[in-house]
Amino acid sequence: MPLRSDATRWSTVAKTFHWVTALLILGNGAFAFWMDGLKPSMRKIDMFALHKSIGLTVLALFLLRLLWRTIDRRPADMPAPRWQQVAAHAVHGVLYVLIAAIPLTGWAFNSAHGFPLQYFKQFNLPALVEKNPALSDTLGTVHVWLFWLLLAVLVAHVGGALKHHLLDRDDTLRRMLPFGRARRGTPTPPGDTP
Amino acid sequence: MTPMIRRLAVLSLALALPFAASAADYKVGPGSTLGFSGKFQGQQFDGTFGKFDAAISYDAANLAASRFDVTVDMATAKTGDGDRDGALPGPDFFDVKKFATAHYVTTGFSKDAKGDVIANGNLTLHGVTRPLALKVAFSPNAGGARLSVTGTLKRLDFGVGSGDYKETSTIADEVLVNGSLNLQPK
Repeated sequence: MPLRSDATRWSTVAKTFHWVTALLILGNGAFAFWMDGLKPSMRKIDMFALHKSIGLTVLALFLLRLLWRTIDRRPADMPAPRWQQVAAHAVHGVLYVLIAAIPLTGWAFNSAHGFPLQYFKQFNLPALVEKNPALSDTLGTVHVWLFWLLLAVLVAHVGGALKHHLLDRDDTLRRMLPFGRARRGTPTPPGDTP
Repeated sequence: MTPMIRRLAVLSLALALPFAASAADYKVGPGSTLGFSGKFQGQQFDGTFGKFDAAISYDAANLAASRFDVTVDMATAKTGDGDRDGALPGPDFFDVKKFATAHYVTTGFSKDAKGDVIANGNLTLHGVTRPLALKVAFSPNAGGARLSVTGTLKRLDFGVGSGDYKETSTIADEVLVNGSLNLQPK
């Protein structure tokens, strides 16, 4: 399990950041639409608190990921037309912005509404903005729409990965898969267990 | 009135007068507040009661003759949050349809180790009566007096918060009660 990425593969750390973030964001997004429909109850309060704690975890992971990037290497892009490589990196950039912006708008939304913010019932975080009902409504809408935007950008991200995997038959997707280490075209020699 | 009852009445009046006369009677004037502070998700929130009344008899030198009698209109609780203020009067919390008022009456006064006056009394809240001690600060002024009281109660002792709302990791059990009354002579 390589800690750092190299010229041809992503490290376990990079893969973990990628997949844990993906699962938390998509899971928390689906969870949000479910909890929103609950009748007012203690359960609803606790479910919202859980949603916020997961969102804060995404934000914390993102900050750690940025730090990690500064010391990690990156595998080279697989061969593709220049515009596709530029587009792929632009999509990554937008995803990064959204990964930070969605939790932050949620946090500000929470603050503007005047709710406390407690991380898994352990400790409280400060309000980002003063209580302001009008701002709260706006931020709530922005929070949700940024998530829809993220899904749209994700279509490009996943589409690109599948295009490399299925049409180009290269390692772009494979080298990010949790256990996908073998390189296409260089089959494992017989007798050698991966 | 039969002579017997008249005699008893005169006797009891004679017994009561020295005490009643030695504590001044006050009513609640403008600029008085009565409130409470709870904790939700680790953060304090403060509430006030818009409507309450109190009959206060107090003499620092004759605590035995002093008495607080406070009635609070529970439907007038406001905490600055629409959701919470909508839920508080409901059946899960104050249940104001059944228990419109809370009532506090002192049973006696004492002094704690620091010499502060403590009012001992019974609070009836949400239909449940439990003892509640309040720390008293009384300062006479030109127009009457300023009376400040603080105390702590456990909401679950009074059955405030039913079902899932009994959970104290989200809504703390302890609630601080505070009052600052601008007293005017009766």
